[in-house]
Amino acid sequence: MGVTSSLDASGVDVGIDFGPIRLKNPLLTASGCFAYGQQFAGFMDLRELGGLSTKGISPAPRFGNPLPRIYETASGMLNSIGLENVGTQVFLEEKLPFLDALDISVWVNFFGTDFESYVECARTLGEGKDRGVSALEMNISCPNIKKGGIEFGTVPEVAHRLTKACVEATDVPIVVKLTPNVGDIVAMAQAVHEAGAAGISLINTITGMAIDVRKRRPRLATTYGGLSGPAIKPVALRMVHQVHAALPELPICGMGGIYSGEDALEFLMAGASCVQVGTANFAEPPAALRVLAELKTLLAELGFARAEDAVGSLESIPAEPPYKAEGAQ
Amino acid sequence: MHEQFPVQVSANEALTGGYFRLTLDAGTPVATAHTRPGQFVMLRGAWGRDLLNGRAFSVLEVLDDRRFSVLAKVFGRGTGLMKAMEPGDSMTCLGPLGNGFPVVDTSVTSLLVAGGVGLPPLHLYAREAAREGAAPAVEMIYGGRTRDDLVLTDELDAWQVAQTLTTEDGSRGVEGRVTVPLLDRLERASANGETVRILSCGPTPMLRAVRALALDRGVEAHLCLEEQMACGYGVCLGCAVPVHGPRPYAYCCTDGPVFPAQEVRWA
Repeated sequence: MGVTSSLDASGVDVGIDFGPIRLKNPLLTASGCFAYGQQFAGFMDLRELGGLSTKGISPAPRFGNPLPRIYETASGMLNSIGLENVGTQVFLEEKLPFLDALDISVWVNFFGTDFESYVECARTLGEGKDRGVSALEMNISCPNIKKGGIEFGTVPEVAHRLTKACVEATDVPIVVKLTPNVGDIVAMAQAVHEAGAAGISLINTITGMAIDVRKRRPRLATTYGGLSGPAIKPVALRMVHQVHAALPELPICGMGGIYSGEDALEFLMAGASCVQVGTANFAEPPAALRVLAELKTLLAELGFARAEDAVGSLESIPAEPPYKAEGAQ
Repeated sequence: MHEQFPVQVSANEALTGGYFRLTLDAGTPVATAHTRPGQFVMLRGAWGRDLLNGRAFSVLEVLDDRRFSVLAKVFGRGTGLMKAMEPGDSMTCLGPLGNGFPVVDTSVTSLLVAGGVGLPPLHLYAREAAREGAAPAVEMIYGGRTRDDLVLTDELDAWQVAQTLTTEDGSRGVEGRVTVPLLDRLERASANGETVRILSCGPTPMLRAVRALALDRGVEAHLCLEEQMACGYGVCLGCAVPVHGPRPYAYCCTDGPVFPAQEVRWA
């Protein structure tokens, strides 16, 4: 797709290079909030998206967690779906052809239950390279699987080793989706960057819980779940900003509570090259396209000729003059 | 293909027991015109960055090709805001979603067993049966805690649909829960060799009791379930329903909300 296809009435060139991945615009939809895309075809022209990230795929199908699985909280929601998915084989055979025909950037989110199954999953899904798979988004951060998962996303050396093995297993670029549930997000980003990740997705959900005091029980069957929505946007922005400041050459796909073009532009200014819209899709299926239209208008209004120019364009607040106590010399 | 469209509140009528009937007008013909009893809509007000997701409501009435109503009661903040809505207030509507109850069948007697906020799909079913001249093929058994919890009962009388009311405190109709007259009715049917089936919607404990009665007696039963939902159209996977079959879970929104009683995996 040429540069011209990313220009429209707003006059802003919204084409983005996310490392080796060319996007016609910076708006993608987020994993777990867009299924495998088909459900949205009746609501919107999917070809207008920059791309989409599929529901997380594992080597074998998974059935997911007991209920209740979701609970809405102040400006957010908790979920513990349990990574229910159709597995690599059904995905490649039955879900991918629909996505391939869209001619947008298809990021296949994936995960394993142990080291070997991550690598196997990357290798198998990488076979979809000529059938529309643009990137593999490696989920090392889901709070909702019990077995093995947590250190992949929280220990830099382990994340490095796993990323390197997956990068070597496939020709498709690997984008690593990091968890915010760590002390040092820059160390995690650096570890996967050095292991050969084409970029990172920031952030996955923040682990949380809610309680029904009348029943004296947690609101979710698994007690803890992942918090998403506008409630987590400030945390996501802070992490994108920190990583971009430390590793400006590492492409970042930002996400966390994006509901408007202004939200998206905040992420670009903080250092994200593209963004994903997640929770917003539930209440408004074509939300990502509204966000894109608002983003274009806002970029034009603020004098950005290209979306790329907005990436990392944040300026710092000017320092105050030094304070001198009254009467001091 | 689903539709999401704006609607305006055209009436918000307070009923007894804290219930209210919200009538919504799309201003133009919309898909809700073809709602089947049991199908639902996701409704959300202009609530900004809070109360993020739509709320699922079973359609109570289809008034014409652009207007419909829902029945609600205040359970949380969303329904609290809806109760305070006034004519002209805006909402977005997605629907109708899911699958409804089996169509009216005059070869069997359909026992419509409703409890509390579970009334709407069965009320709509009774209306549809009456309109098709099949009122004698349906009988309503409708229960609430007290007489104030029983709403819109006059309409069934007007449609000449037989109804048995129950209240837990005996303030109206039969004292006790819906299972009391239901059991009597099933025994009578069995004695007469009459074929009956149960269509039910209400609080989960009630549905469990109805299901147990039906399975015990080998009576066909269809349950309209309610689960927490973020999207209503098969994407969030939040509204899992435990089922028997090749997979341990089905989805209330896309596979249901009406399920055959024997499929539901309840203790």
